[in-house]
Amino acid sequence: MNTRAAFRATNNLIVDGMLIKDLFGSGLAWLEQNRDQVNRLNVFPVPDGDTGTNMYLTMQSAYREVANIRENHVGKMSAAVAEGAIKGARGNSGVILSQLWLGVAKALKDEEKLTAELLAHSCQSAVDMAYRAVEKPVEGTILTVSRHMMESVIERYKTSQDLIWLLKSMVFAGRASLRKTPEMLPILKKAGVVDSGGQGLVYIFEGMLWALCGKLTEANMATTSVFPVATLPTLAVPLSPAWENALEPDDEEGYGYDVQFLMRGENLSVDTMRAALADMGGWSTLVVGDEKLIKVHVHVHDPGQPISYAIRTGAAIDDVVVENMQRQYEDYVEARKARENEVRTDVEGVAVITVAAGAGLSQTFYDLGAAYVIPGGQTMNPSTGDFLDAINALPNDEVVLLPNNKNIMLAAQQAAINATHKRVRVVPSISLPHGISAMVEWGNYPNAPVDEVTEGMKSALAYVQACEITRATRDVELDALTVQQGQYIGLLNDNLVVAGDDVYDVTQRLLEKAGADKSERITVYYGDDAHDADAQLLVGHLQKRFSLQDFDVISGGQALYPFIISVE
Amino acid sequence: MTFKKIRFVTDSTCDIPPELLQKHNIGVVPCYINYDNKSYADDGKQLSREEFYTNLSSMRPAPTTAAPSPGDCKAAIEAAAADADHVVIVTVASKLSGTYNVLRLGAADLPPDRVTLIDGETMSMGLGWQVVLGAEVAEATGDIEKTVAAVKKVREHAYLYAGLQTMEFLRRSGRVGWATAGIGALLQIKPVLLVKNGEVLSASRVRTFARVTDELVRFAHSHAPLDRLTVLHALNPDGAVDLRNRLADIAPADTIITSITPTIGTHIGPGGLGVVTVSKSWRTT
Repeated sequence: MNTRAAFRATNNLIVDGMLIKDLFGSGLAWLEQNRDQVNRLNVFPVPDGDTGTNMYLTMQSAYREVANIRENHVGKMSAAVAEGAIKGARGNSGVILSQLWLGVAKALKDEEKLTAELLAHSCQSAVDMAYRAVEKPVEGTILTVSRHMMESVIERYKTSQDLIWLLKSMVFAGRASLRKTPEMLPILKKAGVVDSGGQGLVYIFEGMLWALCGKLTEANMATTSVFPVATLPTLAVPLSPAWENALEPDDEEGYGYDVQFLMRGENLSVDTMRAALADMGGWSTLVVGDEKLIKVHVHVHDPGQPISYAIRTGAAIDDVVVENMQRQYEDYVEARKARENEVRTDVEGVAVITVAAGAGLSQTFYDLGAAYVIPGGQTMNPSTGDFLDAINALPNDEVVLLPNNKNIMLAAQQAAINATHKRVRVVPSISLPHGISAMVEWGNYPNAPVDEVTEGMKSALAYVQACEITRATRDVELDALTVQQGQYIGLLNDNLVVAGDDVYDVTQRLLEKAGADKSERITVYYGDDAHDADAQLLVGHLQKRFSLQDFDVISGGQALYPFIISVE
Repeated sequence: MTFKKIRFVTDSTCDIPPELLQKHNIGVVPCYINYDNKSYADDGKQLSREEFYTNLSSMRPAPTTAAPSPGDCKAAIEAAAADADHVVIVTVASKLSGTYNVLRLGAADLPPDRVTLIDGETMSMGLGWQVVLGAEVAEATGDIEKTVAAVKKVREHAYLYAGLQTMEFLRRSGRVGWATAGIGALLQIKPVLLVKNGEVLSASRVRTFARVTDELVRFAHSHAPLDRLTVLHALNPDGAVDLRNRLADIAPADTIITSITPTIGTHIGPGGLGVVTVSKSWRTT
């Protein structure tokens, strides 16, 4: 990594593609280091804390796209980064992040080098793109933080063209903006947190800044493993039937090994290390640090070579991780094939791709005619790429996506936009009961065109109230509600409305709020940590209060939520 | 052309109310319900409909249905023929029941120019209105060709929709292929069926009976203006009255509310509602 001194020597901002890639890797590494911190900033006291993970996975996908290329052209490098980010975008923050990179890539499309003026230009483009990614932009989120960060560059680039200085002002603006988010978004203030997505973004740019300054210190990096998963190519989009061939390693020796370690010593040289790794034929190389500590990440066919070399330089090495990427590739192909077999190709007309975790819930969707159920949900948000893979695996030209979760909505919408070769629509189901209601309705439009099916399915969202029971992961005060960690909480259509220690009482009050006494049918999906007997006992209790309603009990198999209940 | 005396014979799935049977002198051959090791003729006498539907869910083993005996068919056809120049036989859909075949056998002894056998391709009052409106044409014209044409026109313009409380009975009956598939195996689904062209189709599938009723109202409206309307129920008289009231804007004055025959009820279960519409267009197209 260019040190501050080396960089300053030019006295001007000149950045090439390889530097962008290195900066990106550093941002990724620092975000990974702080991923859990971002996860803990969840606004609601539900097990929803995956913003950090989602942003990390998005960044990782972006980096994987460029890990194997040597490209000095800034425009081409940025385009590759954006493509990877879009493929792997997960969760709302991840998708917004991918749109920021897309905005940058669009602005830099034809540029060989990055100048301060172009940086400012790309910042504007990034913010524009990000705001366009959401239908109703909400201030106090990653959007606001990104805008303040980008604006700081736009305001200052004429004063100084020093990249470090500009990055620093970006990070400071981001931190200041972050501190203001609780004032802009009341829910954050009530929960006593700053916005998680904004925090993630600040970490990414902090990582870039610190790497550029040679300040990724020992303490910062000690536990960082930059790339825990093999750098497999992410799935090509659009996916050709011959995806297997596309994934086959170009190198006849296979995918080789992923090697990571830390070097500690005196007078270490990042540049020398990088050159040595290049001589060994290493690829996906990332070497960051300073003269006392260097983090090495490289792909090679002989994992012994870089380790031996590092020891010969006199450095002590630490945190050695060696992964067999060929094996991971083979496992991946096998898993992918198994998944392809799950895709139903016998659905005529409009096919539905939905998301559910838990055997019972998945089976319910399949029974109702879903073509593919992507495993995932609250704890594992499928990416845009996951949706695109499923869309491409289906023979159908018309597809409806049912995300069943607010955090998956944007990924689904991006997939619908990117799948230009098919007509893909999103029915915005915010919960599994909503998704099931829409799926039932799907069966009423056997020969209809996709827009009619979509409208019908959307209308079915109104027929159901979704009640979810889980436990609070932390203390929180929301409106008139005080919740302690570990208490049962009830969410009505994704909003926290009741809390208490007794699951029966919480469920009954939740159903009352859902208007269950005026409903007809109450379906209880019990999760993988509950049993049929638990559900029957709960239903027995509820039947005393809701005596006119029909109750059904289904083994949903979902994680984290002992009970998901639909009121219709 | 001479004015002919024409009489109708149908089967007990037709659900024609007794006063209309009497008025048009319609002969009805009863199907049979078998349960508890006994066989009950579905003639409105041997079996109380209310009692049957009340107990249907708990009957083990579940009841089964049987076509009329060829002897019953022969007797009914001969009784009609003794009193008429021509007998028109209209039956429940041949794709769904063996009744068409036994009536065909029962009519075999009559000379072909004295009997016409028509597959009604539906059931309940979908079949019933073919017979009643056919009889009206027969009484007005005495013309067998016009009468048969009228029956076929009504058949073309009659739609029977049935909203069920559960898929369970339909699946168990095994007569409807798609109902035996996985749909609703885990999740309670309330289907709305359309009986048309001898087949039981899925017109709609919903999760609550409130929406079943909405769908029935919607489907009925799609066939307005109506010449005839029947509201059917299987032990759900209050629901039937509510449904009738919701169709007040399109319901002809002589709209009938009737409980559905146990022969059909066995296959769809208790609590359901249905509508049979005959569009005015049958007279003009």
